[in-house]
Amino acid sequence: MRYAAGLRSRLTLGVPAGLALLLLVVPLAALLTRADWSRLPGDLATPTVLPALRLSLLTTSTTAGLCLLLGTPLAWFLARSEHRVTRWVRALLTVPLVLPPVVGGVALLMAWGRTGLLGQHLAPFGVQIPFTTVAVVLAETFVAMPFFVLAVEGAMRGLDPRLEAVARTLGATDVHYLRTVALPLVLPGLASGLALAWARALGEFGATLTFAGSFPGRTQTAPLAVYAALEQDPQVAISVSIVLLAVSVLVLGVLRGRWLR
Amino acid sequence: MRVGLDARIRLTRGTLDLDVALAAGPGEVVGVLGPNGGGKTTAVLALAGVLAGSDGWVRVDGATWHEGRVRRAPDRRHVGLMLADPLLFPNLPAVENVAYGLRSRGVRRPAARRRALAELERVGLGPQAEARPRELSSGQAARVALARALATDPALLLLDEPLSALDPETRARTRSDLAARLAAYDGVTVLVTHDPLDALTLADRLVFIENGRVTQAGTPGEVLRQPRSPYVATVVGLNLYAATGDSQGHARTDSGSVLVTTDPTEGPVWVAFSPSAVSLHRREPEGSPRNTWALRISDVTLHGQTARVGLTGPIDLTAEVTMESISALGLRVGQQVWAAVKATEVRTYPR
Repeated sequence: MRYAAGLRSRLTLGVPAGLALLLLVVPLAALLTRADWSRLPGDLATPTVLPALRLSLLTTSTTAGLCLLLGTPLAWFLARSEHRVTRWVRALLTVPLVLPPVVGGVALLMAWGRTGLLGQHLAPFGVQIPFTTVAVVLAETFVAMPFFVLAVEGAMRGLDPRLEAVARTLGATDVHYLRTVALPLVLPGLASGLALAWARALGEFGATLTFAGSFPGRTQTAPLAVYAALEQDPQVAISVSIVLLAVSVLVLGVLRGRWLR
Repeated sequence: MRVGLDARIRLTRGTLDLDVALAAGPGEVVGVLGPNGGGKTTAVLALAGVLAGSDGWVRVDGATWHEGRVRRAPDRRHVGLMLADPLLFPNLPAVENVAYGLRSRGVRRPAARRRALAELERVGLGPQAEARPRELSSGQAARVALARALATDPALLLLDEPLSALDPETRARTRSDLAARLAAYDGVTVLVTHDPLDALTLADRLVFIENGRVTQAGTPGEVLRQPRSPYVATVVGLNLYAATGDSQGHARTDSGSVLVTTDPTEGPVWVAFSPSAVSLHRREPEGSPRNTWALRISDVTLHGQTARVGLTGPIDLTAEVTMESISALGLRVGQQVWAAVKATEVRTYPR
């Protein structure tokens, strides 16, 4: 029910609410007002920007693929298990969500670096992960996977467990049931998890810079290119930022329209 | 080859301590009845193999599905499972729901589809083959679930309250579809229900499970004649008392009332009489040897042209009288009446 609020209470709540809105909207508006639309195509075609966009597309798609391939089974186990360990695994999953990305980058170096936990076993074979495109994908997966797994697990928890019992009596194995019934039913959750993970990967900056560096064409993704361009030609940075903003809004719009309430 | 079912299920879940034996020959329908929480559904899920931690054994058609270290997974048993909620796969049309079991077992799509269509036609749903589950009525969904459970020719068909989610009219129609379909099925059917009508019209044998134990098993005729627990008596609609009988035709109930009977049995007995054998009077009746009590009316429920009158006092019983006598006697809840039962109507049999 709505009722007329007094002027005083309107002011005490309205002023901070308006300030909050301004803090969010003004930067976006500023970015748009500073954009030079006629220069946009030229800026995007510069020799540093185009490879960065291409690299971002490649690495984020690979990350999304990894999430789908590896994260889906993990979400499946988490959703079905009532074991005590599961609670810990779920808590562990949320760590990368809140971890400062730079710390994530350092952690990745400790794992995959030449003297790292895993890296030291790879070095003898001449395999070096840090500061390669693979490192970019690993960094993006590190930050994006939790988004995907938690979203998909939530959707899978919504499934009626009796459906699986019926499918099992009908001769379906776990995998057959997952493929024919569970996955089609959680498709909306899968799609929104994928979009969230992909958007998070696209924005990845700190962990990538720490673990993969910023080598144009190899590890310099779009956000890193924006940061690099800011020092040399701010207008290029603005143009690339506009593209990233547009892509983010597009992802959000698609999600809103089709799957998000 | 069909041999039938031989099972003993022992397991503990929460407060339920279940230990029941179930056996049936090929083509037989075993009706499992009992109060809620008594273990009926748990027993069925254990037969299907979807409940872990069960002791005992399950043998079907000579094959051991469960005993000691043998624990066949549900997909390696040969069961059809149908619950009150039809639980159709919402993303698949009716025909693919029915074909699901065959496809899971590696039957090729065209053959599985042909069989599924035939099964759907047997339950009168040929035209609905391509309908999505959400487009089906509750009765249609129940029939699709039945067709799906039977499409794989299971050795054991498990029906857990298959009709309870349906409205009365749909239930009657679906019950006759079910009866017709079960008549043509040569495996063992275990039918869990709390509806006496389902049990009496569909089952060849009845098993009552109360508090995790079988309290009575037998043909519907046996159970109707000689119920052996207060719950069973309620289901078959008889007044039943645990009592101790003597050779003179007296039976003293555990609560202290003495009933006169022309059918004496000595020792611990069940005393039973039908609600329709009870007559109600404003004044104390006299005459032939009979049991009379002054009782208070606790409730009156109507069933068509008859009324069931609940009476409490030295003895609790249910009387079934016509609507006419209700109005002639001016019966009201809370009122005192005399209830009489002829000694010839009171049966006793050993406990």
